[in-house]
Amino acid sequence: MWLPILGMLIGILLGMLLPIRVPIAYSSYMSIAVLAALDSVFGAIRAQLEGNFETDVFISGFFGNSFLAAGLAYLGDRLDVPIYLAAIFAFGNRMFNNFAVIRRYFLGYLRNRSYLEDDKNK
Amino acid sequence: MDKRFSGQLTVAFVCMILGLMLATQFKNVQKVGGNVSMQRTQELTGEVQRLKEENEKMKSQIQDYDQKIWEYENAAKGEGKLSQAIYDELDRMRMLAGVVDLEGPGVIVTVNTFLTNPQGQLISNVNYEDLLKLINELNAAGAEAIAINDERLIATTEIRNAGDYIVINTNRHSVPFEIKAIGNPDTLEAALKLLGGVADELSQVLDIKIKREDKIHIPKYEGTIEFNYAKPVEENK
Repeated sequence: MWLPILGMLIGILLGMLLPIRVPIAYSSYMSIAVLAALDSVFGAIRAQLEGNFETDVFISGFFGNSFLAAGLAYLGDRLDVPIYLAAIFAFGNRMFNNFAVIRRYFLGYLRNRSYLEDDKNK
Repeated sequence: MDKRFSGQLTVAFVCMILGLMLATQFKNVQKVGGNVSMQRTQELTGEVQRLKEENEKMKSQIQDYDQKIWEYENAAKGEGKLSQAIYDELDRMRMLAGVVDLEGPGVIVTVNTFLTNPQGQLISNVNYEDLLKLINELNAAGAEAIAINDERLIATTEIRNAGDYIVINTNRHSVPFEIKAIGNPDTLEAALKLLGGVADELSQVLDIKIKREDKIHIPKYEGTIEFNYAKPVEENK
């Protein structure tokens, strides 16, 4: 459980320290890719809680969604269709849904641990 | 257990990539920062890129046009007598306008100051009127093309003082001045060296040397000639 969080911290640290630069012209595609990746991670957390998490599904979704989102945004820019809006909407929507599910699981977990004993007795 | 651990490790790796992406994106946004939004920056960078490309294209277009002019002229030269006459006329006009380099016999006049002061100081300076007088005389003697310090004299050329310099064709020049003139060397030299003439008068205060040359090269006018107000009047209409 702690390993992925540690990995992400290392990633952030590396990103801050290493002189990696994305050209400003491609910055919007990068942001879409980041959104897709974040969505994948939330989806993975949810799947983990539901007990049907599969590593290969997660990894393929992570990279696949990122590239697809960035590629579609690029294509949209070429065609002057704001496809990136669709990506933001789809991923954002799913992220909030996933978060709602995660929240419920978490609250249920807390109840079971009898932190909210009063509620249970009612 | 082992499989679970390796799965966790891959997830950790993927999360690391996510962190990397987040950090780079964050840095990017941070770097642009300020009041300028990301989108505006993108627009402007795009614009710069576009204008640069346009500039390149226009430059190559100019080259194309130059090439075409050259081709047309060559073609015209080859076709018939009338074309030949037009071409010759064009050539003559070009020489007159000063947009082509010229070569021919003539004189080179160098105008310098002499240091007669015991302290070695300049006691005289070249005045624009001195140059004008010389040029006037050369023109009167039938000079076909004149250049001062390689500034071709054309119809709009100015010669005027600006502080210690003399401005010719909007460029600043100072001593020594070298006046090149293409024409009949004998006539030109004689016109200048006339007893009591310009050279005589100016050599009181300046060091003037007149040299005859068989081959003088006079460069073309480097600026652009524009007519914003003047329009040709069409007669016999």
